[in-house]
Amino acid sequence: MSKCKPEYAKESKSPEDIANCLKEGFNDALESLEIREYKGGVNDEVQYRDMFLKIKREKFLELIDTLRTFDFLHFQIMSGNDDGDVVTLNYHCILFRSSGRGKKISLCISVAVPKADLRMPSLWSRIPGVEYSEREMREMLGIDFEGLPNKGLVFLPEDWNEDIKPWRRDETGPSPEDVRELS
Amino acid sequence: MAIGAGKTYKVPIGPVHVGLKEPITAWLDVDGERIVNATIRPGAIHRGIEFMARERNPIQVIYLAERICGICSFSHIVAFVRAVEDAAKIPVPARAQYIRTIVLELERIHSHILWAGVACYTFGYDSAFHLGMILREKVMDVLEALTGNRVNYGTGTVGGVRRDITPKVEKALREMIAFYKSEFSFFYNVAVDDPVALARMRNVGVLSKEDAISHCALGPTARGSGLRVDLRWSAPYEAYADLDVKPVVPQDYTGEAYGDVYDRFLVRVLEVYQSLDIIEKCLDGLPEGDLMWEPKLPKLLNYLKQADGIGMCSIEAPRGDDTHAIKLTGGEENVTWWKVRAPTYSNAVSWPIMFKGNDVADAPLIINSIDPCISCMERMLVTDVRKGSKQVVTRAELLQSCREKTRRLMGA
Repeated sequence: MSKCKPEYAKESKSPEDIANCLKEGFNDALESLEIREYKGGVNDEVQYRDMFLKIKREKFLELIDTLRTFDFLHFQIMSGNDDGDVVTLNYHCILFRSSGRGKKISLCISVAVPKADLRMPSLWSRIPGVEYSEREMREMLGIDFEGLPNKGLVFLPEDWNEDIKPWRRDETGPSPEDVRELS
Repeated sequence: MAIGAGKTYKVPIGPVHVGLKEPITAWLDVDGERIVNATIRPGAIHRGIEFMARERNPIQVIYLAERICGICSFSHIVAFVRAVEDAAKIPVPARAQYIRTIVLELERIHSHILWAGVACYTFGYDSAFHLGMILREKVMDVLEALTGNRVNYGTGTVGGVRRDITPKVEKALREMIAFYKSEFSFFYNVAVDDPVALARMRNVGVLSKEDAISHCALGPTARGSGLRVDLRWSAPYEAYADLDVKPVVPQDYTGEAYGDVYDRFLVRVLEVYQSLDIIEKCLDGLPEGDLMWEPKLPKLLNYLKQADGIGMCSIEAPRGDDTHAIKLTGGEENVTWWKVRAPTYSNAVSWPIMFKGNDVADAPLIINSIDPCISCMERMLVTDVRKGSKQVVTRAELLQSCREKTRRLMGA
């Protein structure tokens, strides 16, 4: 558990400031970074901006800790996909959630986890709110989160055969016989 | 049950109960009447909707997304179509943005009134529950007039909406606003004046500001703990870009945020008034123009087939931040993957904290307080681990115990 008292930052930073800070600190480990603008309303003006980044697994925890120096990193959800040799995890988080109108920055942090070594460091000690998501990615895609205390099933039934990972697209995924057509 | 004997019993609540839209199990460790700890086990209704989307194109997935939840069906499709619009870079006409906003707020009104009624029912205030159900009919009628349906409106599509606000609908909307501005005050009075409601909800199921932050609480649950969080303010989407929406937090009204069930009640009741204002402003400023970016469906599908990339969107649904993420792959008709994070997914992580130190009789109220799509208990099983004995407590008995506590407080 994080020792500092969780609190939201009152002052926000621009996505460009954050991007520059990350580019300086992570160099090649930051494989891609994109800032997107979102418009709305009658005048079609930019209302808020989000960031999409891809980081090497070895630097993932360091990236999270850097982001946490800006604000309490609000964790939303993890999405993931079986991309052949790797399982890609996307951490969806928010910075500056409570810092003012239009200040929110959503982050989509992608990490490629090689299938030969399906391990990720758990964020549970930093952000307890990640628990269900890490358990979900463990049962659905077979990722082992190191440091997560409760690795029990969360959405799959108690008697589920844990060798079958429902969202995988390789031999560990559900076979056609496992899928029941509803119509 | 004996109180304070020092040994704990495990009390499972759930997973399946009459009237629940979303079955879930809560294992409560109780010492006498006190809840010492709680473990939540979801999963009883995992339908594999995200898996099913892999064999559907984005337009087909709209109708799948709409069926995730019966109450906030429109919130889910707005989050979904906005994620698709993000991935495929599709702009939405201003009029469509306003209509989306109006339907989102109508949905918030009916969700919050339903919740307020059910919360009153849980602690034995049946007359308030019945009045809530009568009040809610008005907004359901307006939704039906606008969309043709009471739930699952089929109104949103990628790049716009499929229904217009006609002069007749606008008249019905304005009548509804006038109706609620005069009639909804009853619920407001329950929230701020009723001593029994205050006694049953104040200091019950407390979630501190710090715990709400660290456990990533959302929507009225987070705002009830005093956090100024609202995506309509921090990331104005659709017509919220033209509106000045501010997060409703209890400290602005009562001077202090307790983070208890009462504060969550207060936030929702006040948000009904906020939604009425938003709808009124949207009607006043409703721009003319197209309803859709591309009305020809084959053309739209062909365009979506070429799109490549991840899209994501979070919107402020009645229960909190509803997030959808999607991947479209160039040349493929179907959605590659889709991830849905309904607000309850996050808010349920905070339940164990809210339960701690409360009475078993408060458990239904605490479960309800995050508005988790779980509205009543069918039965629970009390197990004495040492003796191996089991006692089934029916839903009626559990409700009875909740209501008896109200009567005790009233001195009856």
